Amino acid sequence: MDFEPNEEQRAIRLAVETLLTQHAGPARAIELERDGGYDHALAAALTEADFLGASLSQETGFLEAALVVEAVAKAGGVVSAAAETLVAPAVVGRSLDGPVAIGSLGEEVPIRFGGHAHTLLVDAGEEVQVVTVEPGWREPVRSNFMTPLGRIRVPEGAGDSLGDGSGATLRRWWRLAIALECLGALEGALDVTVEYVKRRRQFGRAIGSFQAIQHRLAQCAVQVEATRWLCYEAAADGAPEEASAIAAAYATDTAHHVFRETHQLTGAMGYTREHDLHVYSMRLEALRVELGGTAAHRRAITQSRWAS
Amino acid sequence: MEFSWPDDDARFRQALRDFLDETLPEDWEEISRHGPGSDAQASFSRDFCARLADRGWLTQSWPAAYGGADATPWRHAILSEEMWRCGEPRGSQYMNVNWIGPTIMKYGSEAQKREHLPRISRGDVLWCQGFSEPEAGSDLVSLRTLALRDGDDYVVNGSKIWTSYVNGAEWCFLLVRTDPESTRHKGITVLLAPMDAPGVEVREVPAVVGERYFHELFFRDARFPASTRLGPEGEGWSVVSYALAYERVGAMRYARAGLTLDALAAAAAERGRLDDPALQEKLGAARAAVEASRLLSYRVIDLRARGSEPTADTNIARVAGTMCENAVSDLALELFGPDGLEYGTFAESYFRLAMTAGVAVGTTEINLNLIASRFLDLPRE
Repeated sequence: MDFEPNEEQRAIRLAVETLLTQHAGPARAIELERDGGYDHALAAALTEADFLGASLSQETGFLEAALVVEAVAKAGGVVSAAAETLVAPAVVGRSLDGPVAIGSLGEEVPIRFGGHAHTLLVDAGEEVQVVTVEPGWREPVRSNFMTPLGRIRVPEGAGDSLGDGSGATLRRWWRLAIALECLGALEGALDVTVEYVKRRRQFGRAIGSFQAIQHRLAQCAVQVEATRWLCYEAAADGAPEEASAIAAAYATDTAHHVFRETHQLTGAMGYTREHDLHVYSMRLEALRVELGGTAAHRRAITQSRWAS
Repeated sequence: MEFSWPDDDARFRQALRDFLDETLPEDWEEISRHGPGSDAQASFSRDFCARLADRGWLTQSWPAAYGGADATPWRHAILSEEMWRCGEPRGSQYMNVNWIGPTIMKYGSEAQKREHLPRISRGDVLWCQGFSEPEAGSDLVSLRTLALRDGDDYVVNGSKIWTSYVNGAEWCFLLVRTDPESTRHKGITVLLAPMDAPGVEVREVPAVVGERYFHELFFRDARFPASTRLGPEGEGWSVVSYALAYERVGAMRYARAGLTLDALAAAAAERGRLDDPALQEKLGAARAAVEASRLLSYRVIDLRARGSEPTADTNIARVAGTMCENAVSDLALELFGPDGLEYGTFAESYFRLAMTAGVAVGTTEINLNLIASRFLDLPRE
């Protein structure tokens, strides 16, 4: 048991954060959002540094890959890092052509990166299908949720199956990926809100000095810290079924709680395009409805632990 | 980061479980349902802790110089987890080991160490804690119980309330004010007070949380020798802060919650209700709350193991612990319905045990205050 990052983990975190400072950040996310864009420049920089794709998890491990996914989300990066750096290496065993989207068979719903994906991982129940997406199959969807969305219509028979049993593996890693992306966005949302209430003055004092506000943010902090350790432990253990479902259930529940609280506490300012909160908060809402949402993750915990 | 247990820790846990299987009597569950303050549990704990001491496990986390084995904070956490899993058969004696002993080691005189530490490590002494007063709850530094020096004695007048574990307690870790002119943190002193001194009166405050759970202590010209003072006069706040840092996550209460939740799921399965999606969601949410509490408690142990000063991580763990106990106990009553209203049943016992979580050892609100100031760095007024 050791909760401090080791030297290699610290180095990876520092390197990816340095790169993200140059290429990502809320301002970049806001700029890209205007035309629903994908950050190809960031993707190229991350690939160049081996932070996107399978090599990080293959050479170091999945916990290190998880730290990168968290950092990208915390920087508001508009790239499919979770799918490319964590899920694909674990489920397919190799790098896939990005952007990579993940969806469920038979659900033609808007999915994240669906308007840009070159590769689609399809949860087909028992098995996973890896689909190389033709441009004509993609249909971008306009959305306010600060993450590019699109529908993909996969023709019958397209895609390669990874075989029976791969579906469950995909769902484990997908849940962990959702939890990690929540974690990064949660940290971002909480940080900008804490900064806001320290600066914003009303009644002659910083509103962050009011206990009514302090308690709400402290409660958010408790849940964000819990999300952190649930994610890291699940990643270190290779996304066990129960632990991944727990991470996703807890993270998405926290996502919604933090969405409400941070918007309440930043007042009208938090809804504006000039404040960074929406980059994180709106994504949190998108994440919390993915793969059946909090309710489905919770049921998955019970099915994994107690159903026999 | 590394989240698995080394083999020797895993072996220790197994040895502990084997010991508990052998040692706990068949009616242990029945004994434990009356609560830690009950006559049955108080007397049971003396026998049990003595056996734990024989194995060298009771105070294994203490330094070898005081009869311990310098076990790591992780070993101590495993012990606490396994004890809480089965309903804390140590009774009140977890306090002795977790913080009363260590605080005496740090602040005690040689005579105090000789008097108290061997008895604590043998497992045959019960302590209680005299902190809260009718007018000093969350605002503990407004305490008014007065101890005035008279020759070689302190003469104590005042009262303490919400004191648990008074049943059979020989000693009280007592907070008093030695300077009547002082306010707040200054002028507070700790006494290691013998409970059999004349002028000490105990009265139970009957409460729904269990037998002999709360008491009021009255001090009327009670005389305690100056040699019972722990640390310098007027410096008691430092002493108690040290003690509290150990106290807040000494108890791995999520371990009990986790085991209770497994039993609830088994009960749901017996009733054919485990397929109910709504119940599945509630069980899943409670399970997530238990795991959150476990990991945040581990984070505190990890910081302690690396010698860090206490941080707000302790308060974070406490809040998550309360969320965990609330989630499981809510579900216990909901699942068993009216059957769970009967005293001493499984659901009722857990509900009763858990209902003080947000108040015991510092309220959730105090913990949130400390998280706001120390973890989020939010401004004070």
